[in-house]
Amino acid sequence: MIDGALLEDIKAQLSNALGERKVLWEKADLLPYTRDTFRNPPGQDFKYWPDLVVLPETTAEVQAVVRVAAQHKIPLLPKGGGSNRTGMLVPIYGGIVIDTIRMNHVLEVSVPNLYVTVQPGITLKEVELRLAGYGLALNQEQGSFKVATIGGSISTAGFSRKHQKYGTISDRVMSLEVVLADGSVLRTGPKVLYTSTGYRLHQLFIGAEGTLGVITEATLRVEPLPEAKEVVLGFYDDFWAANEAAQRTMATSVTFVGGEAYELVDSRAWGAPPGKNGVFYVALEGTKGEVEAQVAFMKNIIIETGGVLASQEDALRLFGKYTEQWCGARARPEIDNCFTTVVPMEKLKEYYDRLWNDVMAKQGILHVPGVKLWLDVGRYRLAGGRYYIPQKGEGWTEYRKAARGQAELATSLGGSISGCHGVGLEHMDYLDLEFSEVALDVMRSIKKSLDPDKIMNPGKMIPTKRRNHLVEIEKRASKNLK
Amino acid sequence: MFAARWGSKVMNPICSARLVDMDSELDAAIKTAEMCSLCRCGCCKDECPMYAEILEESISPKGRNVLFSALSQGLVPPDSRTVRIAYSCLLCKRDEISCSAGLKNAQATEALRQYLIDHGVPLLSGHDVMVKSLENYRNPWQESKAARSRWAREFQDRRLVPGKTRTLFYVGCTYALDRSLQESPRALAKTMERFGEDFGMLLDMETCCGSTAKRIGHKRLFEELRRENEKSLKEARVDTIVTACSGCFKTLKQDYPELDKEVQILHSTEYLARKMRDHRQEMAPVMMKVTYHDPCHLGRYAKVYEAPREILRSIPGLTLVEMSSSGELSRCCGGGAGVKTAYPDISLSIAKKRLKDAEATGADALVTACPFCVQSLRAAAEATGSKMKVLSLEVLVWRSLSQGGGQRN
Repeated sequence: MIDGALLEDIKAQLSNALGERKVLWEKADLLPYTRDTFRNPPGQDFKYWPDLVVLPETTAEVQAVVRVAAQHKIPLLPKGGGSNRTGMLVPIYGGIVIDTIRMNHVLEVSVPNLYVTVQPGITLKEVELRLAGYGLALNQEQGSFKVATIGGSISTAGFSRKHQKYGTISDRVMSLEVVLADGSVLRTGPKVLYTSTGYRLHQLFIGAEGTLGVITEATLRVEPLPEAKEVVLGFYDDFWAANEAAQRTMATSVTFVGGEAYELVDSRAWGAPPGKNGVFYVALEGTKGEVEAQVAFMKNIIIETGGVLASQEDALRLFGKYTEQWCGARARPEIDNCFTTVVPMEKLKEYYDRLWNDVMAKQGILHVPGVKLWLDVGRYRLAGGRYYIPQKGEGWTEYRKAARGQAELATSLGGSISGCHGVGLEHMDYLDLEFSEVALDVMRSIKKSLDPDKIMNPGKMIPTKRRNHLVEIEKRASKNLK
Repeated sequence: MFAARWGSKVMNPICSARLVDMDSELDAAIKTAEMCSLCRCGCCKDECPMYAEILEESISPKGRNVLFSALSQGLVPPDSRTVRIAYSCLLCKRDEISCSAGLKNAQATEALRQYLIDHGVPLLSGHDVMVKSLENYRNPWQESKAARSRWAREFQDRRLVPGKTRTLFYVGCTYALDRSLQESPRALAKTMERFGEDFGMLLDMETCCGSTAKRIGHKRLFEELRRENEKSLKEARVDTIVTACSGCFKTLKQDYPELDKEVQILHSTEYLARKMRDHRQEMAPVMMKVTYHDPCHLGRYAKVYEAPREILRSIPGLTLVEMSSSGELSRCCGGGAGVKTAYPDISLSIAKKRLKDAEATGADALVTACPFCVQSLRAAAEATGSKMKVLSLEVLVWRSLSQGGGQRN
C-alpha cells in the first residue's frame, strides 16, 4: 500500500498526465478491482484493494502511468475484462490498476493481408462484430467471449473452442506493442505471420499475465468468414461413449473447427432420447461443398459409434450454451471451482478415475452434478470439471490440498495444470510440478531483465524459491489492510 | 445469511454489520448483490448502455452489486461516489437476459437507491425537484393538478362515474402534461370512442402512479402515492384499467401487490390488439415502413412483445421491419430510471444509438409505446437532424382508423 503523502503526490501526477476523469481513488470506485472471478479464501472478498485505478486511452497515457509507477516502484496491474479465474488481477500488494477498457478501438483492418490491429481493451465479441463487417473473423471463442478482452486473452493464453481449425489466441498473435516496466515502448516485430529474424518477442507476452509489461496494441491473424457452418451433435449413453466417438474422430483426417464431449444432467430438456446422457459434437466450417461432405462424414461416425443424431435445432441450442452458461456461473450459494487441466488422450480415463475417486475423495470434495466430466476434443484433452469447495471447518485447506493433488496427477500423466485459465495465484505454489528449476530460473531471469524492480503484477505466476505463496501473501497483506 | 455459511469464526455474518433493519425487499436485494459479488463474471457489462457510455467497471450491474454488498457490510461509506454509481443505471434489465444465475439486478439497484435515501444521502439535483413536484402536485413535472385535464378538453364528458363506467383510461403524468405528446392520449381516447368502449378518465383527479419515485428509490413517497391510487381506483369500481404509458403499466401491474388481482390492467397495445381483431375492416392503409422499439417496462418487465407487433401487422399498407436488437434483446432508449433527469447528456447519447439502430433498418418511422421512449428518441432525432419520425403506436392506429371511414364494411 502507498502511504498518504506519496499517494496524494501520485494522484496529482497521474491526474496531470491523464486528466482527473481517468484516475479513480475513492473506495466505491475501487471496489470492482478488489478481485477478479478467482475464489478468495473465506471472508477475503474485499481484502485486497488497489490504491488507484487509471483508465488510459492511448499508449502514451499508459507510458505516463508506468513512468510514475517506475519512479516510485509501485505495483502495476494491467487489466482487461476482469474475468480471470486464477486471481491474476487480485491486487495483493495494492498499487495501480491499469484498466484498459477504454482502449477499445480497432486501429487497422487489412483485408488483403488478413490481419487486424486492435487496442487491448476491446472484447473478443466486439472484434468479431467489427470484423464481420469486412467479411472476416478472428475465430476466438471462449466462455467469457462477451467480456474477455484481447489484451486479457493474450496475457492468459486463453482458449478458443474453435482451436482445431483456427488455433487459440496464442496462434493468432502476429505482432504486439508493449509498454515495458521502464515506460519504453517495445514493438515486437512487423505485422507478418512468419519471420526468421531473431527471437519471436511477441511470444514472450503470451500468457505472461501482465508480469512483463502492458500490452497496448495487438496485430492478429484473421480469416475470411466461411461460406457454410454446421454443427453435428450426437447423444450417447454416457460421457465415455461420447469420448469414444471423439477419439474415433481424432483418428480421422476430418478437419473440424472444434468439438466437445460432456455429460448432461437434464438431457431430456435438450432433446436427448431417454437414458442418453452423453453428448459429443463437432463444429464444421468451410466452403459449402466441403462442409456438406464433412457433415455426412461426421454423421456416419456418430451412428457407427452408437450415437443418436440430434436435430439441427437441438444441436444449435446446445452449441449456443457454451458462452451462455459462463455468465453467472459463480453466482450460486454453493462455492464451487472449475478446472481446465490438459491430459494426453490415452490417459483421460485414468485421470478422471484417479481425480474423483482418489484425489478429490481424499479431501472430501464433491463434483458439481453434471460437470464431472467435460472435455474439449483435441490432440491433448482439455479435461474440465467443477467441484464444490468445502465451506466448513478446514474446507479451504482441503481445497488447496486437492488442487495440488490434481496438479500432481495431471503433470505425472504428462499433462499441464492449467489449459486456459493461467497460473495467477491459484496454481503458483506448485508450478514446479510442471517446470524444472532450470525452466523456472529462465523465467525469473526474463522477468528480472524486463522488470528489475518487480513492479509488473508482482507476486503472480512465477514462484519465488520460497514456496507457500498464498500464506506469504496473506501475511504481508494483513499488515497493510486498508 | 449466505455469508454465515463460512462459519461465524471465519467471517462476520453480514447482518451484524448492517446499519439499519432491512425489510424483506432489501434483504432479497442484498442477497442478489452478494451472489453477484461472489461471481463477478461481468457479463452484464456486455450490452449495458450505461457501461458503454462511461466505461468504468463500477458503472455496471456487477459494479452496483459489489458496491451494495460492501455498503451493507459497512466497508464503504454512502457518499457522492456511491450515489453516482447507484444512479447511473437505466433499470433496463437487458443484463438480466444474459445472467444464467437469473439475478434480479434491476430490483437490487432500486433497493440500493432506497438504501442510500434511507441513510440520508442527498438526492441528485433534478431528482430533488421531481420529488418536490410529486409531493406538492402529485406529478413529477411541476404542473398543477388542474393542468392534467387540459389535453382532454374535448373529452370532459368522459369523467369517470364510479360504479357505472366499466373501463378506466389511466392517462399518466407524462402523456397528460407534456404538450408535445398529447396527441397520443387523444388518439387513444378517440380510438376507444370509435370502438364504442364504455370508458372514463379521472382527469384532474388522477394521481401519479409513483413510478418515478420508485425507480429513484424513494420508497416512502411511492408508498404514499400507491395508497392514494389504490383508494381512488377502488372507489372507481371499474373492471379494466387501460394505460398507454409503459411506466404506469409496469408500476400498476407489478408494484401494486393487490391491484392486478382485483382489476384487469391492460397496456394500450394489449387493449388495441384485442379490439382491432374485430375492427380490421375499418382500417385505412398507411403506406409506411416502420420499425418498433420495445420499451423496457413493456417488454422485458411485462413481457408484452407480440401485441404491438400484431397491431402494426394489422394496419394495411404498413411494413414492419425489426432492428438489429429487438424483443427481449432490445437496446434501451436511455430515458428511464431518472437517468435523463440526472445525466441528460448520457441519456441523449444512448438515445442516439437506438435511433441509429432504427435508421439502419431504412424505416420511415420509429414507433414505440411509451411516453418516455418517445421523448428520448425524438430528442435524439432533433439533436442529430434525423429524418426519422418518432411516433407512438396509438397515433398510428388512430391515423389508420380515422381515415378508414368509421363504418364496418
